[in-house]
Amino acid sequence: MTRSITRRELLQRLAALGITAPIFDVNHPQGLDFTHLNSPTPKKYLIETMGGGVALFDYNNDGLLDIFLVNSGHLSNPQPLPEDFDRHEARYWNRLYRQNPDGSFTDVTQQAGLANAGDGNYGMGVAIGDYDNDGFQDIYVTSYGRNVLYHNNGDGTFTDVTAKAGVAAGGWSCSAGFFDFDNDGHLDLFVTRYMVWDTQHSKVCGGEWDTYCPPGEFPAISSILYHNRGDGTFEDVSVPSGIAAQKGKGLGVSFADYDGDGFTDIFVANDGMRQFLYHNNHNGTFSEVGLESGAALTADGKPISGMGTVFQDYDNDGRPDILVTVLPREIYALFHNDGDGLFSYRSLQTGLGELTAASAGWGVGLEDFDNDGWKDMFVAQAHVLDNVEEIDHMLHYKQIPLLALNRDGRFVRADCGVTQAVAGRGAAFGDINNDGRMDVVMTVLGGQPMVLLNDDGAPNRWLSVALRGTRSNRDGLGARVRVNGQIRFCTSSGSYLSANDKRLHFGLGQADTAKVEVLWPSGTLQTLENVRAGQFLTVTEPEKPEKS
Amino acid sequence: MLPAALLLLSLAPQTASSAAAQHVHAGIEADQQGHIDQAIAEFKEATEEDPKLASAFLDLGQAYVEKHDYASAIPPLKRALELDPSIRGGHELLGYSLLAQGYADEAASHFEKAHDTAALGISLVEAGRPADAIPYLKEAVSKNPDDPDLLYYLGRAAGLLSRQAFDALESRFPDSARAHQMMAQNYAVLRDEPNAEKEYKAALQAKPDILDVHMELGQVYARAQQWDKAEGEFRIEAQMQPGNAEAFYRLGDALLQQGKVKDARVALERSDKLRPNMPQTLYNLGKAASLDNDPASAEKYWLRVLAVEKGTPLAAQSHFGLATIYRREGKQAEAARQMQEYEKLQIERPSEANP
Repeated sequence: MTRSITRRELLQRLAALGITAPIFDVNHPQGLDFTHLNSPTPKKYLIETMGGGVALFDYNNDGLLDIFLVNSGHLSNPQPLPEDFDRHEARYWNRLYRQNPDGSFTDVTQQAGLANAGDGNYGMGVAIGDYDNDGFQDIYVTSYGRNVLYHNNGDGTFTDVTAKAGVAAGGWSCSAGFFDFDNDGHLDLFVTRYMVWDTQHSKVCGGEWDTYCPPGEFPAISSILYHNRGDGTFEDVSVPSGIAAQKGKGLGVSFADYDGDGFTDIFVANDGMRQFLYHNNHNGTFSEVGLESGAALTADGKPISGMGTVFQDYDNDGRPDILVTVLPREIYALFHNDGDGLFSYRSLQTGLGELTAASAGWGVGLEDFDNDGWKDMFVAQAHVLDNVEEIDHMLHYKQIPLLALNRDGRFVRADCGVTQAVAGRGAAFGDINNDGRMDVVMTVLGGQPMVLLNDDGAPNRWLSVALRGTRSNRDGLGARVRVNGQIRFCTSSGSYLSANDKRLHFGLGQADTAKVEVLWPSGTLQTLENVRAGQFLTVTEPEKPEKS
Repeated sequence: MLPAALLLLSLAPQTASSAAAQHVHAGIEADQQGHIDQAIAEFKEATEEDPKLASAFLDLGQAYVEKHDYASAIPPLKRALELDPSIRGGHELLGYSLLAQGYADEAASHFEKAHDTAALGISLVEAGRPADAIPYLKEAVSKNPDDPDLLYYLGRAAGLLSRQAFDALESRFPDSARAHQMMAQNYAVLRDEPNAEKEYKAALQAKPDILDVHMELGQVYARAQQWDKAEGEFRIEAQMQPGNAEAFYRLGDALLQQGKVKDARVALERSDKLRPNMPQTLYNLGKAASLDNDPASAEKYWLRVLAVEKGTPLAAQSHFGLATIYRREGKQAEAARQMQEYEKLQIERPSEANP
């Protein structure tokens, strides 16, 4: 008598034979019918090639991750004034897909009140956070034009509260993220802006090839920091905080407390110049310390084309490190946190020279995809220029995403399961099917998103930790969670234009139990011993501190 | 390329009839006042008055040259030289006129007689004789190293010579290792990596012990950022040529790019021993030492770079590396000084150069 084996059994048998198999099953879940529309024109408007944000979050608290996808809009050739990107047309809407218990998705955009993002807004990215601590995740959408804050009403609908909240920004916003910079329990908002650019001052570069212009062609601009007043409104504190003192070309943002002083710091990935590391001075101000900390330039003192970024501890030394994705002929920059406020450029020692020198990276995550206790790397890849092959035969516009497994701090290429090169852009990370393995949603510029369900055959154990703040912000963003010696900084931000599942995933290797230590933004240190592996654990912050 | 001094020659009339002499003087006067056509008419009158007066023919030819009417200049200049083969400036003027009309071979013979090496070299290039031209052009460049025309023609002569040799190689030995190597180089210039790789491999198949091909193939891989393959080729070249500093430098660089810092240091040290004080080798030695947690050696190498490199990107990189070392050692003042030097030299490069 014969019986068919499951895919996982097959992978386990292959693994036993020493044969590697793709970790991800590339999937098109039923109901996820989104197509990103960027409307490329001969005018080579830069916004055409930069969009594609995605968020993985549970908007209705049913325990299943839902997907929010940012659309871009319609561009004319040439684009007239006043700028209208036809976002009222259904094909240009951002889309919210609710996950059903069977793994399929239902488009709930219209019923959720998210249908029209505004005709004057060409969509870019998304940030997720519960800014009013009501237990429901809110959505912030960035655009070329006006950004929009959608308040989650808790009944499956959202309300545009941008005007009341005062967070419309303006200009060209890219990645954004919620975090609590003053530990007052209310999530603040950081918005990167790319450059001073508009369709009327656009130009075409590349001589005979007609390409998108590099960032050096346009003036730099400062990012925006909004302080949450706690009453549903925000105050633009970019100037008093010192954020506005630096003009950059921000595409990516990530957060972590890199020096362990209890306050969240900010890293901004700038394109074509030095990177910014804003140290939190604990008094509402920040100091940009990229150069003196060693996180601004390569080991050769060269600037990089920073795009996506993640701020997590890749080598399990307890300190968050910075990874930045860049263009080809550079190398994805890995700034190792050496302690004492210093970083060292470790791209070569960690194998990124071999893995990434010919690639262009956007969305990026450091997640433990094989649950072995080491954070692996996934990068959505593609060149910024859609005609780069005409210019340089060695480069490719569409690329296979990079999956690199972490082997004791050195990254080794693995088969991600994607067989067709695509123009990858955003990437969001989370356990979509709650099977204890981290999955990925990757957006494709001008195309359909890819859902990569992790079907790794390795029999390693895992633990997923959800935080519920009481004295700290309800999401627990900014908490430092240590599980069996591994550290994760709680954040939904990072990657490129995207927002991740806020649950913290830990691979435990062969361990059956874990010791969980949570250092909350309030300063409370909470310890849980002998936590059983293989569960989704919710840790609620004690109303009174156990230990400061 | 007509020397201004030549045009300013005062062409004193030889012994001549007074009528011819008067026309010559009138022509010179008209020429000095910028009335070229009037000068030409006077010089013509002089040659008709005295058909044996070489200087009048020379004046007439020069006036045509000034007017850029080289076709008309040639007959009187030839007549002047027939009448007086040693007449001053005659060969140069006729050479320039002939060259301007495309008679490069004939021009060369006049420049040779005039001992004008620069013009002779140029005319030989134009005559399709680059091998003959190169010695003259090299001599001319050594006398006038900042003359862009001479540099251009020297480069062009070398290129033509190279093309002629490669054409001969291709037509006479199409299946030879060197022919495949040459084809590979052409593809590499065009950044056609697959065909370059194919031709280099064909060259190696035809002659496995051929020198430099592994190094060139390694460079193709290096440009494509395929560092493991590049390492393999550079390693073979270094084994074949243990005295070749470049092979060891490139091997070291490929190893460094892969983070194999200890092996990189060995290869780079070998390169430095074979050809000491090459700035790029010293810089990479510093970088490898730094990555290998050996700041003392890194400092030593980067200081050596700064001893030989001033104001270059490599110097800027060395200042940056030294600043990093000093910062880690708590030498804040030294670090700040190195950063100042770095920032003085550093212009933040946007990503224009990076498609």
